[in-house]
Amino acid sequence: MPRHSSTPARITGFVIAIVVAMAVPAAAQGDIPRAWDGNPDLNGIWQAIGTAHWDLQDHNAAPGPPEMGAIGAIPPGQGVVVGNTIPYQDWALDQKQQNFENRFTEDPEIRCYMPGVPRATYLPYPFQIIQGTDKMLFAYGFAETSRTIHMNVENPEPAPIDSWMGRSHGYWDGDTLVIDVAGFNGKSWFDRAGNFASNTLQVIERYTPMGPNALMYEATIEDPNVFTEPWTIRMPLYRRLEDNLQILEYKCVEFAEEILYGDLRRQPAN
Amino acid sequence: MNVKSTLAVLAAALVSLALTPLAGLGAEYHHVHLAVASPSLAIQWYEDHMECTPIADRSDAVRCPTVEITFGADTTVGGSAGTGVNHIAFSFPDLDTKMAELERAGVGGRGVRLQRFEDGSMISEIPGVFAHGFVFDPWGTRIELVADADRTGFHHVHLSATDPDASLEWYANVMGGERTTLAGQLDAVRFDNAWLIVDRHPEGVPASTTDRAIQHLGFMVSDLDEAASGMRQYGVGFTGEPESGQTSARRAYVAGPDSVSVAVVEPGWVANPTLTLFTDAGAGPVVDAETYVAPRTPWGAPDLEGIWTSNRAHGIPLERPGDIEEGEELTPEEAAARRERGTLGSIWGYEREWRDTTLGFVDDLPSTQVAMVVDPPDGRIPPLTAEAGARRGGGGFGGGGLPAGPEDLSDYVRCITQGLPSLMMPTIYNNGLQIVQSPTHVAITKEMIHETRIIPTDGSPPLSENITQWLGDSRGYWDGDSLVVEVRNFNGRAMYRGASPDMTLVERYTRVSPTMLMYEFTVDDPATWTRPWTAMFTFDLDNGQYELVEYACHEGNYAMINILTGARAQEAAAASDSQPE
Repeated sequence: MPRHSSTPARITGFVIAIVVAMAVPAAAQGDIPRAWDGNPDLNGIWQAIGTAHWDLQDHNAAPGPPEMGAIGAIPPGQGVVVGNTIPYQDWALDQKQQNFENRFTEDPEIRCYMPGVPRATYLPYPFQIIQGTDKMLFAYGFAETSRTIHMNVENPEPAPIDSWMGRSHGYWDGDTLVIDVAGFNGKSWFDRAGNFASNTLQVIERYTPMGPNALMYEATIEDPNVFTEPWTIRMPLYRRLEDNLQILEYKCVEFAEEILYGDLRRQPAN
Repeated sequence: MNVKSTLAVLAAALVSLALTPLAGLGAEYHHVHLAVASPSLAIQWYEDHMECTPIADRSDAVRCPTVEITFGADTTVGGSAGTGVNHIAFSFPDLDTKMAELERAGVGGRGVRLQRFEDGSMISEIPGVFAHGFVFDPWGTRIELVADADRTGFHHVHLSATDPDASLEWYANVMGGERTTLAGQLDAVRFDNAWLIVDRHPEGVPASTTDRAIQHLGFMVSDLDEAASGMRQYGVGFTGEPESGQTSARRAYVAGPDSVSVAVVEPGWVANPTLTLFTDAGAGPVVDAETYVAPRTPWGAPDLEGIWTSNRAHGIPLERPGDIEEGEELTPEEAAARRERGTLGSIWGYEREWRDTTLGFVDDLPSTQVAMVVDPPDGRIPPLTAEAGARRGGGGFGGGGLPAGPEDLSDYVRCITQGLPSLMMPTIYNNGLQIVQSPTHVAITKEMIHETRIIPTDGSPPLSENITQWLGDSRGYWDGDSLVVEVRNFNGRAMYRGASPDMTLVERYTRVSPTMLMYEFTVDDPATWTRPWTAMFTFDLDNGQYELVEYACHEGNYAMINILTGARAQEAAAASDSQPE
């Protein structure tokens, strides 16, 4: 398994962009914004729309925690997994079922933990891409999470330490931003239905402009310790078009403290 | 003294042995080259702690005693561990005494950093080989100390290889050492005056020695031209033309396995003095800030991208101490002592090894700036308003000083935020600040707690006054070479020095040299201070291997659980004490 594909130098990316521009019909590519180096300009605020954050797979409407009524209930949705099946190993499918049963108490999202990849992408919050000269910053609207995309590193080293968000290496494949992410700590879930992977997870993400205001997002998920083969999710990401929209702070720690530390509070004297 | 003269005799004996050529070049192991902040301090350190001896008329090397250690004044991006040359080793007949002596030396000043084994001991036995322990020099070179009766002084270079077998073959064949094992156990190449021990790099491929603490290994041959033809049969060539130093002897480089830089020198080689970026006196890079023009991004804005640290500024107090006159500066010694106090003071609760490591990574020379406050010119924060004085009353939490719940602890301990401008201030660890720019935004991420500020520079209107945030709302614009950021809309919960939510913070970021960013901030809050005031310090670019790590503060906040559990236990103990028997 190639750990990292080779990363074309910036100038090569520019040449590829020109070649692609010539090869693809104008209607498909003519109107996407371009950065200083000729690559697509992905700067902006993006968001997934749908129910992938509830469940990556096809799912029917279902009740949530009873006290939340219809606000907390789970809306139905069509899956984003290509083929709809997640090829779990037997033990892992059992684990997923167990996660599902405990989803209203065990989901790391409840605790305001960093969501991992790809989950950060399709949580129901906007995220912003800041496209620099040799790095990109993805800043997410949940839990003050961000990740640095190291662009065009010739010989990327493996992640020095496991982390929630992994270590991201990006490069351009024509007009597609490809990000190879590994070095995860294995504690994240993929959705509120308990889909999960381990710390041997590797995610290959592809962000392909579909026009000025939409990207096709694909993530191929590989983890030899959890799945029998790689699988892929696919969904569009939409540009948020509101005037002067910005990512606001959502420092959710304080909203999770009761769940995390409530039993350690001083109890009123009897 | 006796030990040293014995070593010198031994050195002479070994040098004469080395004249017998082996295979390959028949090279003799000659030196190891280290990057240090100050060669003169390094000579002193290796003399004091590794029993090396200064060399007459040389300001860049010591003899230990069969191998030279040479020093270059150079900045590095990391220590030796993790590269293809993990560490160097010295042998001392009485290891217990030596390690105790190094422990006593302490970490103060240019001290000794110990690396303990997992069980906390300083010395461990490799069964059937020898006892050993590890320390670091102040510039990041990892040093093993061994007790090997067969060789005293410089003992070995420890290589960490992708393919140990190939590396062993290379050094044996090309340089002409003898491939063998040390004590029948450790794969090694033996030269007459040092061992090369090779093992497998734990993560596959080691990092390059470029810009790291151990920069290259050095071998000596009688003639470089002869050596060049000798190497050709192994498909190895010099990576550049041989160069001359201060003598007629020449040096050339070879790329060893795993891109380890290997120098080959002729007898009598003495390098030219290296250019010094930083003086021993602690001044910053020598650049005229008045005439310096910052580089531009491809779209024409001043380029502030990179990873910046404020290590140099750590320890500068906000206000000028009463015993220092206006306009004065600290001496470099005073500055070093001040930072040391600040560092140790702010992490007093940590294990010694943690403090050692923290100090060891901070090798920017400390700033001699007396105080951060530059306006008012007396370096003092202006008086509080009457309203602010009243506002500051109260505070603290009841219950005998024990927190009832997480809300009683600081926002920092809760891993919510450091607030502004606090998050910009020097911190003792995780001090990196990453700036990424686009044509319309500047993003600043602080490693500590991982907070990201996304600052629009496109003139878009500020947030509505109905929306307030912990870090307020930052709006930026370019003023010549400077990024100016105005921050308003604070939520009033993590306010700087008790300021009101109406505080306006104005920040100014100016790149004043290729590697230095000046940071000024002005705090304006008429409800709190009788006049606005301004402070300043600098960041240094660290674009080598410093990469922000994920500081998962909240996710790993065991301290919160421990603090609250401890508080409840103390309360329970107090309650049972007060119960009648």
